[in-house]
Amino acid sequence: MSAEIVNGLLNTEVINSSKIPVEHLDYDYIQKCTDVGYLEKILKVLRSGEEGIYPHLIDFCEKHVEKLNPRSRALRKDKPVASAASLPKDEWSQISEELESWETEMRAGEVQLKQLPLFGDEENVPPIRGSNCSVQSTSASGVKKNKNKAPCPRGYKDWDKFDVEKECAKVDEVVTNDSARTVISHSHPKIKTNLHTSVLTEQEKVVLANREKDKGNEAFKTGDYEEALAYYSRSLSILPTVAAYNNRAQAEIKLQNWHKALSDCQKVLELEPANAKGLLRRATVQKHLGNLQLAVDDVNAVLHIEPHNEIAKKLLNELSKKMAERVPEKPAKRQKMLIEEIEEEEEEKEHEARDGAVDSSSRQRAGGESCAAAATGEERGDMGNAQKKPHGRGDGGGGGRGGCSADKYTVTPPKGEEGARKGLANGNSAAHQAEKADRERAEQSKVNLDAPAGNLPPRLARLKNEGNHLFKNGQFGDAIGKYSQAIDGYTEAGVDSPEDLCILYSNRAACYLKDGNSSDCITDCTKSLELQPFSLKPLLRRAMAYESLERYRNAYVDYKTVLQIDIGIQAAHDSVNRITRMLIEQDGPEWREKLPEIPMVPLSAQQHRREEPPSAEEAQARAERATQEAARKAEARFTLFKSDGNEFVKKGRYEEAVGKYSECLKLKPNECAIYTNRALCFVKLDRFAEAKQDCDAALALEPENKKAFYRRALANKGLKDYLACSTDLQEVLRLDSSVAEAERELQEVTELLRQSLAAAASPGKARRSVPITEVDDTEEAATKKQDTTTEQNHVDQAKSIAITQPANAYEFGQALSVARSHDDTAACAELLRLVAPETLPSYVSTYLDGHTLAFIMQALDDHLLDKEPGLVYQHLNHLHTAERFSMLLMLLDKDKRRQMTQLFEHLSAVESEDFSQNDVQNLANKYI
Amino acid sequence: MSTPLEKPQIIVHIQKSLNYTVFDSKWIPCSAKFVTMGNFPRGTGVMQIYEINQGELQLVKEIEKPKPIKCGTFGATSLQQRHLATGDFDGNLHIWNLEVPDVPVYTVKAHKEIVNSIDGVGGLGIGDGAPEIVTGSRDGTVKVWDPRQKDTPVANMEPVEGETKRDCWTVAFGNAFNDQDRCVCAGYDNGDIKLFDLRNMSLRWETNIKNGVCCVEFDRKDINMNKLVATSLEGKFHVFDLRTQHPTKGFASVSEKAHKSTVWQVRHLPQNRDIFMTAGGAGNLHLWKYEYPAQRSKKDSEEVDMGVAGTVNLLQNVTLSTQPIASLDWSPDKQGLCVCTAFDQSVRVLIVTKLNRV
Repeated sequence: MSAEIVNGLLNTEVINSSKIPVEHLDYDYIQKCTDVGYLEKILKVLRSGEEGIYPHLIDFCEKHVEKLNPRSRALRKDKPVASAASLPKDEWSQISEELESWETEMRAGEVQLKQLPLFGDEENVPPIRGSNCSVQSTSASGVKKNKNKAPCPRGYKDWDKFDVEKECAKVDEVVTNDSARTVISHSHPKIKTNLHTSVLTEQEKVVLANREKDKGNEAFKTGDYEEALAYYSRSLSILPTVAAYNNRAQAEIKLQNWHKALSDCQKVLELEPANAKGLLRRATVQKHLGNLQLAVDDVNAVLHIEPHNEIAKKLLNELSKKMAERVPEKPAKRQKMLIEEIEEEEEEKEHEARDGAVDSSSRQRAGGESCAAAATGEERGDMGNAQKKPHGRGDGGGGGRGGCSADKYTVTPPKGEEGARKGLANGNSAAHQAEKADRERAEQSKVNLDAPAGNLPPRLARLKNEGNHLFKNGQFGDAIGKYSQAIDGYTEAGVDSPEDLCILYSNRAACYLKDGNSSDCITDCTKSLELQPFSLKPLLRRAMAYESLERYRNAYVDYKTVLQIDIGIQAAHDSVNRITRMLIEQDGPEWREKLPEIPMVPLSAQQHRREEPPSAEEAQARAERATQEAARKAEARFTLFKSDGNEFVKKGRYEEAVGKYSECLKLKPNECAIYTNRALCFVKLDRFAEAKQDCDAALALEPENKKAFYRRALANKGLKDYLACSTDLQEVLRLDSSVAEAERELQEVTELLRQSLAAAASPGKARRSVPITEVDDTEEAATKKQDTTTEQNHVDQAKSIAITQPANAYEFGQALSVARSHDDTAACAELLRLVAPETLPSYVSTYLDGHTLAFIMQALDDHLLDKEPGLVYQHLNHLHTAERFSMLLMLLDKDKRRQMTQLFEHLSAVESEDFSQNDVQNLANKYI
Repeated sequence: MSTPLEKPQIIVHIQKSLNYTVFDSKWIPCSAKFVTMGNFPRGTGVMQIYEINQGELQLVKEIEKPKPIKCGTFGATSLQQRHLATGDFDGNLHIWNLEVPDVPVYTVKAHKEIVNSIDGVGGLGIGDGAPEIVTGSRDGTVKVWDPRQKDTPVANMEPVEGETKRDCWTVAFGNAFNDQDRCVCAGYDNGDIKLFDLRNMSLRWETNIKNGVCCVEFDRKDINMNKLVATSLEGKFHVFDLRTQHPTKGFASVSEKAHKSTVWQVRHLPQNRDIFMTAGGAGNLHLWKYEYPAQRSKKDSEEVDMGVAGTVNLLQNVTLSTQPIASLDWSPDKQGLCVCTAFDQSVRVLIVTKLNRV
């Protein structure tokens, strides 16, 4: 391209002397000429006015040049600068408004900036160049020292020489001027990913974090994913933002670091649960990790938020194909699908447990990004909890190992505390796990800070729990304070319980690790280990701290020790592999000789991990296990009934499902999810009063359960109690504003409410609605009698959904998709009857695809044709003007074509004064 | 490709005539204010601080100094302090606290002759490492200063004894992506461009673009050096891809003849390193976008890696004035806002629209 232009320019100079023949200054010639260079010359002559001025010809020539080469330099013209007047008014007002708000913002920011005391940031600033010899400059002895006193001027040649001298000292230096190697700058490993932000003000942090993110974006655009990663990490180290996590996840995906990407997505969704990008990226990651079901769930969530997200649709297709391939070998997957539909909470828990297991290693690698420091053991413990109940359901991603290890891991104190953290994460959903051990349950409730912890006196226990809570919230500095207080208090109180002190130290170490304070982390871990040699968590944390300090040998030893205690910790395996590589690079093949001694872990410590806590606690633990065993049996039956129920729901056999759920409730009357599920069945069976009762029961157990609210809303709607219904829906939306169905339902109900109120106002129809509202929850018999009526109402309602006249394309689309999802051509016909034919193309254009078209055709054919052929003709006459229609036609398959032909045949058979046979024929030509 | 409607527009928001010759203008970071620097007809130097306020420029402060001020930078100061470093006609480097401008915070007789160009790094959160200022002067030397060290530069780059001294017209910092690495690029009146590596204290690369180098700038100072734009006296500018340095061919570059006269300035958009504006001697501004090639490096005939240059696209061009536009500065805080000064003794605040859509 550029060469061509340059040639063109050169020629221009030549041609100026040799003239362009006048004949060439002609429309025909210019039209035919394809040589851009020559045309540019012609243009130049024309513009110069040497041969006379022909504005139209100049214009014509310019256009032709533009057609051939839109970037031609001849087209560049000096333009006067634009002013406010040259922009559309609203655009300009927007710009000036933005600018003004920016001005005020800046002014306010400046005042703030001035009020702040000036921090001396001296210790973080690198020393003055040359005044403090750094490592690489030591060898350059004489020259460098001279420089300190008076930098002597140096010629360019000296500079070169200087470089060569230093060369030998700088082993790691890549830049070699005299070797015949290309210097490719790969800077990413050298970019510092953690920044000192302690002395920065909030405002500065925002500015910096944004800039680092921009840098990351730019690097990402050019394909330097590793560099982008480094900058995103920098941005996050200054100020964690959703966008930066999201972008880092994308960069990790590009680098195929699935686990890291997953943990980043997780972070995004923690901060913003309905982030479509985050969900989509997590779906991608899950797909690559082989967790197809989880991926499908995420994609569905995305489609829930953005129903027209093309990428999500594509991904979903891909996934369902993959799933179809997989199903035969993994029947468990299929079962999960139905669970997803009826009981999200359950699912979420499993997600978490499974994610935990899959992902723990990655999180650890990411340098303790979550409470990961806490190691696989705990994650698995939690997974065990989740798995006890569903029993044999979660054999997917996590692999079977969690199931068998579950009860081994639940009883030791550190686990309990970890459980508390998990409990906090799981929030309400954890609440219905009532039959867990007492203490565990206490800790799972959200704000119970007074929960006992080991043998600690209540005051210290409280401090510790507060610390845990702060840690969970990411306030690591505060958590450190709490733990430190607890530790101080411990020594004063004189309690004899080394395990607890060990835990406190270990927890504080986790905080330090999260804060990037590796050396303090190491100190704490060491203390903790002195108290309780060979505890898993402190060892792991110390290993990570060593690793982040690049003291790989110590880290290696710690990881190895960890593996001796529990061979199953994937993170440790990964780290050992990674460190081994590092050490080989660093120390060469004899790296092992330089290692400190790896301590032998006594068998007792190993057993300590595998089995139960020793001696004193053993009896208690056994008893506990026995009760758990019993609970588990009950649970197994419960689960069986429940999954049967779910199965029935899936098959649409609601009656049977109700039976099963009732069985479940006999076993466990306090299970909220069962109530909501049974309520769903009742709603489906149009037994609204019972549904309402179940929802009430569920809400009594869990006052914030949005599903219960939603189903009660449906029940109320069925009972025609629109007011209660809308209150419930509003409650749902308050709890979670992203529930699209609730919103839609609410709109409908408000409409219905208005209608019913209007009806009440007009005396003639008022009577009809009154009896229905009265019956709702009192007499069983009345309800039975009512059942038929309500059912009738329900059907009516279904129609009334469709027949409200759509005011815009969105409403039309909603109504159409509702009709389509029920395959209800009558509703569609009704809808079409209400829509003016002129507006149809604009309404339909965004939703138009082959299926929709066929559906509309069928509706027209089946319902409208015999009653209103004129309308059908009008619709057809306008429909083909919709956007992309011709494209769509080309892609139609045979069946649909046949359907269309049929419609036109029918249409032409109809006699009408609105159109003639010829008209129909003409129209048919446009379609077929 | 952007459609014509989507093209960025360059709009003059505010224009103001001044009663002195203005050489440089710089936004004060984290504010809606900027500083102009120049020379009164009576031969003294002047700095003025303006604030934009609802479509008008308000003069906040005027400071007169004995020597005309050629150039200034905020690059080596913290966001809290926001001290301006200036170079004047007499070869002095001063650092001013604009709140208390009577006495400079730091002063040094940096060069024997006029300081043509100045740049800073390590401040404002841009660039890791020590805050440093680089000055380039007509006396042919390029010196790096640390505001914490009095009287002497921390690095000095000048030709060997006996070699003719070339007038250094422009300097710029770059490659400051960690504590140690840092580069200075200098452009000279004979078309030399030299890239000094401050970590190794070596001349890393040099080339000659045949015409005097009016302005050089890295696309970003604080990343592993990526691109460098150098503008020339004869209306061309060159974009060097700095990622791959071939042992003999150096860096790959693309050049574009943009203006009919000298390209005085080039400034990259702080929010997007691939968009930059050039300011010409005929009072025109060109807004460009650099497009990367599919592969940024390839093997040459001897299987040695060499860089591949991309292309530049003109996004917009306008003519502001009949006189050269001597300085241009993008606001670091507001995307699309920039200030430029021309030798017609006026300062203009421009708005460039739709930069996030290109």
